Amino acid sequence: MVAGAGMLFSVHSTTCAQSDYPTLSQVTQRLQAISGSGSSAKLSSLTKTEGGKDIWVVKIGKGDLDNKPAIAVVGGAEGFHVLSVELAVQFAERLVKDHSMALDNNTFYVFPNMSPDAYEQYHAALKYERRGNAAKIDHDRDGIVSEDGYEDLNKDGLITMMRVESPMGNYKSHDKDERVMVKADVAKGQKGTYLLYPESRDNDKDGKFGEDLVEGIAFNKSLTYKFPIFTPLAGDFAVSQAESRALLDYLFEQWNIFAFVTFSPANNLSSPLKYNAGDAKKRIITSMLEKDVAINGMVSGMYNESVSQKAFNQTNQGTDGDFFQWVYFHFGRLSFSTPGWWIPEVKGEDGKSESNAEVNFLAYAAQEGINNAFVPWTSVNHPDFPNQKVEVGGIRPFVMYNPPFDKVNEIAQDHTDFILKIAAMSPKLEFHNLQTEKLGNGLTRITADLFNNSALPTHSEMGEKSRWLRKIRVDINRDATDLISGDKIKLINKLGAYEKTTLTWIVKGSGAVDIKAGAAHTGIATLNVKL
Amino acid sequence: MKIKNWIYTAALGVAISFAGIQETEAQVAQDRYFRALGTPHNPKVQVSWNRYHTNLALEEIMKDMAKKHPNLVKLQSIGKSFQGNDIWVLTITDFNVGKENEKPAMWIDGNIHSNEIQGTEFTLYAAWYLSEMYGELEFITELLKDKTFYIAPTINPDAHDYFIKEANNQNSPRSGMIITDNDGDGEFGEDPFDDLNGDGHITFMIRKSPTGRYVKDQMDPRKLIPVAADQKGEYEMLGYEGIDRDGDGMVNEDGIGYYDPNRDWGWNWQPDYVQRGALRYPFSVPENRAVVEFVMDHPNIAGAQSYHNYGGMILRGPGAEEDLGTYNQTDIRIYDAIAKKGEEFMPGYKYLVVYKDLYSVFGGQLDWFYGGRGIFTYSNELMTSYLYFHQNAGRGNQDEQMKVDQYLTFGDAFVNWEEYDHPQYGRIEVGGFKKNFGRLHPGFLMEQDAHRNSAFTILHAYHTPKLSVSEVNEKDLGGGVKEITATIYNERLIPTHSSQDLKYKIERPDYISISGAKVLAGFVVENEDFNKLSEQKVNPEKISVANIPGMGAVKVRWIVTGGNNYSINVDSAKGGKASWKK
Repeated sequence: MVAGAGMLFSVHSTTCAQSDYPTLSQVTQRLQAISGSGSSAKLSSLTKTEGGKDIWVVKIGKGDLDNKPAIAVVGGAEGFHVLSVELAVQFAERLVKDHSMALDNNTFYVFPNMSPDAYEQYHAALKYERRGNAAKIDHDRDGIVSEDGYEDLNKDGLITMMRVESPMGNYKSHDKDERVMVKADVAKGQKGTYLLYPESRDNDKDGKFGEDLVEGIAFNKSLTYKFPIFTPLAGDFAVSQAESRALLDYLFEQWNIFAFVTFSPANNLSSPLKYNAGDAKKRIITSMLEKDVAINGMVSGMYNESVSQKAFNQTNQGTDGDFFQWVYFHFGRLSFSTPGWWIPEVKGEDGKSESNAEVNFLAYAAQEGINNAFVPWTSVNHPDFPNQKVEVGGIRPFVMYNPPFDKVNEIAQDHTDFILKIAAMSPKLEFHNLQTEKLGNGLTRITADLFNNSALPTHSEMGEKSRWLRKIRVDINRDATDLISGDKIKLINKLGAYEKTTLTWIVKGSGAVDIKAGAAHTGIATLNVKL
Repeated sequence: MKIKNWIYTAALGVAISFAGIQETEAQVAQDRYFRALGTPHNPKVQVSWNRYHTNLALEEIMKDMAKKHPNLVKLQSIGKSFQGNDIWVLTITDFNVGKENEKPAMWIDGNIHSNEIQGTEFTLYAAWYLSEMYGELEFITELLKDKTFYIAPTINPDAHDYFIKEANNQNSPRSGMIITDNDGDGEFGEDPFDDLNGDGHITFMIRKSPTGRYVKDQMDPRKLIPVAADQKGEYEMLGYEGIDRDGDGMVNEDGIGYYDPNRDWGWNWQPDYVQRGALRYPFSVPENRAVVEFVMDHPNIAGAQSYHNYGGMILRGPGAEEDLGTYNQTDIRIYDAIAKKGEEFMPGYKYLVVYKDLYSVFGGQLDWFYGGRGIFTYSNELMTSYLYFHQNAGRGNQDEQMKVDQYLTFGDAFVNWEEYDHPQYGRIEVGGFKKNFGRLHPGFLMEQDAHRNSAFTILHAYHTPKLSVSEVNEKDLGGGVKEITATIYNERLIPTHSSQDLKYKIERPDYISISGAKVLAGFVVENEDFNKLSEQKVNPEKISVANIPGMGAVKVRWIVTGGNNYSINVDSAKGGKASWKK
């Protein structure tokens, strides 16, 4: 399905500045606005989720767009990471409006939101950081579905935390900011005073709180690489949901994608993944391969030049079943991920920052004048703790992953520039040094260099192992009987960064010969030779 | 009367009017046949077990089974294949006793690999045997009262018929009919086999060559034998019949899909670079997805069997050494008990472990059934050359195969070498063993082997759990309070939850509930003699137990008031239901 209508909305959405992250219908309207008839962007729905939401793809390009090296930009890997959707949408908008030159050599795919069911929770009456889609799942596998979800005990429309005063507690207040709860370190002789749980009840009286959420499968925990089978939000087998299947089925038929940029909590752009020789040499590879780590390092350098924010507390370089690692380890493509924004380091008067992420966040919020960042601990009557002091409070949902909306434009600008820089360095095949030598009696020797004019190889080291990247194919349009030597069809596994290979044929006859070389993800180089 | 018509009338003269006299099936049989023990002697559905059935014939037979045994056999399509064929499942049980989906069930399938078509016949035989023997044998009658069989003769119908109807060799195709780009050149299926001599079999191409390393055996010129290292040969081997269609200098390099439907399952799935033959992600083969959805919808499946060829093997997982920890000793004891018994009544079949005795498999079907669902599962590799002469000559032993074709099949197995003008190779010869020889049973060996394998599956199904409330004791605690202790016994080898199931809590617990009494407290009794109890404080009327072990029991206890007419109900997903009433 291609959604064409929506040009009418474009005026609205570009002139009326948004003050908060968009709703799903606002996202849809903005995508429709850039993909009307005559636009280089085509909007399609891959499927609908269990919750009935569209999974959109915007394919942006011109000319022979299936044979131009492409970048895929993915947002909404996590539903609570609403920034990621805005960054993906803004990338599409900026590309279409301001960077149409980029389409001369490249094609772009934008998947703005892979978790629309969960994303909706940001705008719902009850707000919480949600990951799962709308499928009905028994997360704690006790035979009863979602019996122990969150409960808004203080009726503020937010799910935060709850703490229970208890001599058997294992949490205590942080020294620097008493609002923040930290685990008591028994090894240091510390004793806790609170039990800490998500804001919830123990409906099934199993002693656990919020262990069987009213949400389904998390997209970013349900792909095949290190799939955490049978864990909450992951499910009974990988790629079990309509949206993940539809995305993968679509990707497996787009042969031109050479790199992905995913906006997700994982980060291999502030700093690259590390190489581990042991893990790289096992039958099942769990370390990025050595040559690909070098590419990651180069791209990470570009990222840090494009994006002004300095890395801080960026420790997530992939989690089990996530999308970003699937792209590299199971799909063989270059894979880059960034959260887009993180809480900056806030230094105290002593010039030191606090390593506890929540304390650092609250310092940042104070510095920025964000005054509702923390829901103060307030007492509630909790039916599961009838004679104990129970307080609900904690950091407001979403604010640790998504910056105030007025910061988003600049972030989107930086990331658009970065993605366009990767596109500009996509594999690029060119013919050079053509020579035609007459051998007499109607025979001509053709010699040419096929050159990859790029800092990236045509195939990553992992990509060489994958069936899902095509080989470089060289064709000469002469009958086999006219080819005295040289192949009519030749497949080449890989050309490295700025690497060349020399091709040669001896051809019988006269006239013109067309030679072409390439693959969908490298682009196709052509050469016309007069005999 | 022509002889052909006479045979037809005699054999199939079922309830037809003959010279004005109405003959019943029983009368027809009584006058003509003497019962051979062990086989349905007067079946309502006639099937010849010495040939292979196409999808069309298969469907007719299955529909006939459902029609002739309305209380025993139901036929349903569980989904469509890639090409839109139905994937049929026969449900076989006594539909008058209990609900089909509440009895412990056995899943049986065949033909996941396209060329392994005797799996289809063997599963069909099991369905036929069970439905025809119900009411004839007490054991089978009881079995169908207790259990349900879900039988899928082919879970790969597209390529089942493609193997039969189109030119193939003994090993092709392994995949279903999704056409992929096997050589990475951007084109899909552009260079498949070519049936040069048009006989429906892809055999071999050989060519006379001064550097060839083979000669034809003078005693039997069909046989190509290698010469000694210092001898001159006469022929070179050129591979399977084919031409280079796309001009890339390679022959047969891109036929229909390379993928293996048995590397597509969602336990320990790995991509193609690790596990050759994997497709996109688990259950990206549509036929498998239909099976998985059916299995997920039928948590009563407690045992599973799939049929492959070749080799005479009863296989269990793990498929990969990396998965060794999944199969623990408690479950292996049960696997061993059933399979070792099977070895005794299946001569030529050996009980083996995939990763260690065969080869490494990630994403295999049997590993998903066990690892992903906790179901005790075997995969049998049907046919072994042992069945020819009761000797272990080994797989593909040319001398033995030629002897088979000389003394048992009289030339039916071999396409004699014939000359052919090949567009790229020039003058060649084409010939070799047919696609239906080697891996597939010849007709005369089929029924016996189908019966033995079905017997193995029946043994397996028999050992799925059978629960009963075997003992209920009451003790008066005074003051109108009494203690009720119930023993729930599993009379079979397989527990309600395999240890793999328990490890991941794959299936819900078993519930043992009491009604008709006011329950004050409820317990699982861990040790009755020393009164070790584990209390269930919430909802004590319905006690959850993690597992009811094979050939073992669990005890539960309630403290109640009232209850002069109470009943106890057991509800287990894989173990079925049981009840007791005072």
